[in-house]
Amino acid sequence: MSDELTLLVPEAPAAEPEIVDRGQRKASLDALRLGLLDNSKANADHLLRMLVDHVSVGMKVASVTTLRKGSVALPASETILDQLARDSDLVLSAMAD
Amino acid sequence: MLAYCDRPWDSSIGKVAPRYGEATPIRLAVNAVMAGCEPEYLPVLMAAVEAMCDPAFNLYALQATTHPCAPLLIVNGPIARELEINAGVNAFGQGRQANATIGRAVRLMLMNIGGGYPGTGDMATLGAPSKFSFCVAENEAESPWPSLSVERGFDEGISTVTVVGAEPPHNVNDHASSSGIGILKMIAGTMRTTGNNDIYNYQEGTYPQPLVVFGPEHAKSVSDDGYGKEAIRQYLFEHARVPLGEFSRENIDNRFSRRYGADAPADLQIPVFKRPQDLLIAVVGGPGKHSAVFPTFGATQAITRAISREDGRPALSIADLKAR
Repeated sequence: MSDELTLLVPEAPAAEPEIVDRGQRKASLDALRLGLLDNSKANADHLLRMLVDHVSVGMKVASVTTLRKGSVALPASETILDQLARDSDLVLSAMAD
Repeated sequence: MLAYCDRPWDSSIGKVAPRYGEATPIRLAVNAVMAGCEPEYLPVLMAAVEAMCDPAFNLYALQATTHPCAPLLIVNGPIARELEINAGVNAFGQGRQANATIGRAVRLMLMNIGGGYPGTGDMATLGAPSKFSFCVAENEAESPWPSLSVERGFDEGISTVTVVGAEPPHNVNDHASSSGIGILKMIAGTMRTTGNNDIYNYQEGTYPQPLVVFGPEHAKSVSDDGYGKEAIRQYLFEHARVPLGEFSRENIDNRFSRRYGADAPADLQIPVFKRPQDLLIAVVGGPGKHSAVFPTFGATQAITRAISREDGRPALSIADLKAR
């Protein structure tokens, strides 16, 4: 009879994070194209507007693209993510309540 | 615990949100032992995990939300009877090993593999007793209608597990109505609440699927008056509505004005569920004049999986899944 004792743990380790291509970084903060992802939580839109106001003080904002998730409890759709990726240099998302 | 697992013990059944830990038979078995399961229960747990990992179930949000939802398992078919999963008296309550321990194994799995620990991966404000264990079988023997699994596309005789991201039961006590329409009116009244995720928490194109569970006596009365499931759905769609003015001004502004217009009248009737076909109906329970309404998290779709062999063929009995 083996003296070996096998211990089994009920837990699973967290999934390994996926490395994603972060794409080209802008060399300067001039003419920044801001993207806003409103997660549709109550007051998220207010929080995002405040953030834009503050960001605009320190740098020139060329455009602001604001998109809103269909449901706070669901991921943003591919359409929303694609548009933000295409039209923005920097995306802010908000959670507020 | 793996005596009825016909697949490799380290094969992947799914990645369980929000940690996305990998559920394997061996890991599920450890949790099932801790829950007090019999080995015959493991295939039900495996099918339930498969169902919960379907992206449409939206397990990430169900686990992490402040809302008191939990995956409700409804088991259909001969395997439910073989395992003596309670479909009758006190089915949602205590007293039956299969219900208690399969449901408990699901919760342990959600915590230990999925990372849904209170305060980190599970941010429920109040939680719910159903988050401890939430598993029943449908009382097919006393149902006058096609079973939940048949309605969801499975043949009679196929054993399935359906998972619903549901609140605990909201009881419908109706000892007075003897007519089908009377019982349905009482159910509609119980469904008609303002603090209800289904009424607003969805994305256009995919709609919430609240569940109505009829006790067998209510089911018989409703059926005897000529109501099939389609007619029940239509009636409840038309009558389970909340006037817009019942909601607070802030809720109207934040949740309803985009959908119904900023100038929508206070008497606009907001349906608790968007389309008749989305309402889930099952028969569960024993003698007595009670039914129950189960609002859901809203942004979740019920998922049904057959209890199957490794080759995909449905198991006709738990014995079909005996490890080789």
